Amino acid sequence: MIRLGTRRSGRVAFISDSPFRRVDPRTKLLLSLGASLAIMYPLQKLMIFMLIYAIFLAWGHLLIEAGRQVWRLKWVLLVLFCIDWWVVGPDLAVSVVLRLIFLAGAFAFFFSTTTTTELRLALEWLRVPYRYAFSISLAFQSVGYLEEQWQMILEAQQSRGAWSPDGSRTNILRRVREMVALTVPAIVLTTKRAWAVTEAAYARGFDSPHYRPYQALKMSRLDLILLALMGFIGAGLVLWKGFIF
Amino acid sequence: MIQADRVSFHYLHADHGLPETSLRVQAGEKWLVSGASGCGKSTLARCLSGLIPHLYRGLLSGEVILNGFLTTETPMWKLAEQAGMLFQNPSAQLLAATVEEEIVFGLEQLGCERAEISKRVAAAMHSFHLEEFRNRAPQTLSDGEKQKLALAAVMARDPKVLILDEPLSMLDITAEQELIQELERASGEGTAAIIFEHRETQLRLLENLNRIELNGNSPPQHTLAPCPSWTPIPPFELRLRNLGVTLGGKRVLDQLDVDFHGGEIVAIVGRNGAGKTTLLRSLAGLQKHDGALNLQGDGEPLQLGLVFQNPDLQLFNASVREEILFHIEQPDPDYYQWLLDVLGLTRYDQAQPLLLSEGEKKRLGLGTVLMRRPRHGILLDEPSLGQDEAHKKTLMDLMQHVAHLGRLVVVTTHDLELARQADRVILLGAEGIAGDGPAAEIFARQDLWKSIGLKRTQEGPLAGLPPTEGK
Repeated sequence: MIRLGTRRSGRVAFISDSPFRRVDPRTKLLLSLGASLAIMYPLQKLMIFMLIYAIFLAWGHLLIEAGRQVWRLKWVLLVLFCIDWWVVGPDLAVSVVLRLIFLAGAFAFFFSTTTTTELRLALEWLRVPYRYAFSISLAFQSVGYLEEQWQMILEAQQSRGAWSPDGSRTNILRRVREMVALTVPAIVLTTKRAWAVTEAAYARGFDSPHYRPYQALKMSRLDLILLALMGFIGAGLVLWKGFIF
Repeated sequence: MIQADRVSFHYLHADHGLPETSLRVQAGEKWLVSGASGCGKSTLARCLSGLIPHLYRGLLSGEVILNGFLTTETPMWKLAEQAGMLFQNPSAQLLAATVEEEIVFGLEQLGCERAEISKRVAAAMHSFHLEEFRNRAPQTLSDGEKQKLALAAVMARDPKVLILDEPLSMLDITAEQELIQELERASGEGTAAIIFEHRETQLRLLENLNRIELNGNSPPQHTLAPCPSWTPIPPFELRLRNLGVTLGGKRVLDQLDVDFHGGEIVAIVGRNGAGKTTLLRSLAGLQKHDGALNLQGDGEPLQLGLVFQNPDLQLFNASVREEILFHIEQPDPDYYQWLLDVLGLTRYDQAQPLLLSEGEKKRLGLGTVLMRRPRHGILLDEPSLGQDEAHKKTLMDLMQHVAHLGRLVVVTTHDLELARQADRVILLGAEGIAGDGPAAEIFARQDLWKSIGLKRTQEGPLAGLPPTEGK
């Protein structure tokens, strides 16, 4: 899965009950990319499109997940909103933030229902060499591992008094040292993980000329319907007067 | 099958490696390679599998012929078809999104047909009882389950030689016995197995096991000097009532009632995934939980230092001294020196922590916690992992010192030799605590072990161990 949860956080690792699980990853990627083009809409039309897209996500049991992905960007969005408002005005602030929200939500559809293996196969279909496609999918997959390691580093340093969750009570110098206490183990563990995975992959024959994928991508009727729908909506968008301006 | 002639290796930019070693292994043979921490066992494993010289830079001499292929002149993928290797840290070596795909990965590289892959995946999952985890992300498994998965992924490739680096380190005794059965089965089919391991207990059950011991530097055996005193504290009791923890929607601990007392060493033993580490984390205040955790007899807030399994989570300073003394105001030099001596780290006072061996790092991690003198005691998660017998004895002595100071020592372990030296053993199963009492008493109760799924062999759960002595 691309967005892996951790055991500790107890988050859902994968949206397995979504009808989009059955959709070919190539279709999903095209749909996400296609939908993201809607950010070029004027604000009012964008909001109408967002509403339609939200219904689409709700049908796929993905609305909550899309909301989560947007929520993770809350601080970035808040800062952008404030800067835009301060530099230009409220219209631009709302316009930029809404577009970013839509962009994040648009890709929730792809990232929540696609396994890293499917991503790798889709990349291979796009003629990306296997070793690079594997590395990219592994990088996505390692996010969950690294997130868990980070949590464990926090706990380990807290346990020995090298980090305190309540940073406001400590002085700046101590806070900097605490950041070093977190960062060094994170770098060490990430490097070790990268090396360990490399060893493990090569020890299991990675890069063999005999490689043959177990799973194969296959378009179904649902894919064709979705692609046709996308084409229809895309054509509608282009013909809609004032699409861009 | 494997012929290693006068092989030695020195890593670049490191002062350790493999001294000259020769080994000849025939089809179907089982070899146990043992030796003290840092003697070069893992390096030998890498030399035999071909990872040295393909992935490591250094000075290699001698030669290794793996099933007719000279490792220096054969591509790694071809060597991997001959030998399957299991690494020490199962958590870091898993590279797929699901348990099923983890096993599939190696089979894809072999170029197996889809039907053949399905068949082998099903067989490997069945052998290691992984069916229920088929669609789980490997990183969500317990360490023991990860170890089993890594083993399943290796064995599914049906290699002619198995090279297993500490395969038992994370396994409970039932899983150990299952592994031994698998090794016997593979051996019967002509697969050679070379096992690099500190814990020999269950491996003694393997028939016709050959042995080779690598020379290493064991610490001198000595009696510990008296510990510079900690602040005296009144006798205390730590009461857990209805303790429960839910992780990822799964109830890991449920309605746990248990009392701990200052001055005792408690070993928590259980199957992989039973919640042992979660219990330690709850005691350390790092895990949200239901129920109550009350300290009786001491008015101060509960303070227990947790020593993690993986020392790399904690080490970041430029020297061992700085690491141990980090954030310690007015450190006691006598106590610091005593700790270094006890932990066998005296000569590393100014050494860079990240350059120490895994076993040394683990002892340093313990030192960082002990230097803080946690008021009520220490919690150790699998402390004997990667430690040779001599260091295990030192560890036990140290735990006894801390307990004699009136502190509580709680240790989770699969190492039954360590557990039987504790004052008290708690058997933790899926349904909660199955047994709690003096170590000798618990070890005598085969029914309790069986009730939590720890299989009884002909010789009992401590097969291969000397008879239990009463404490």
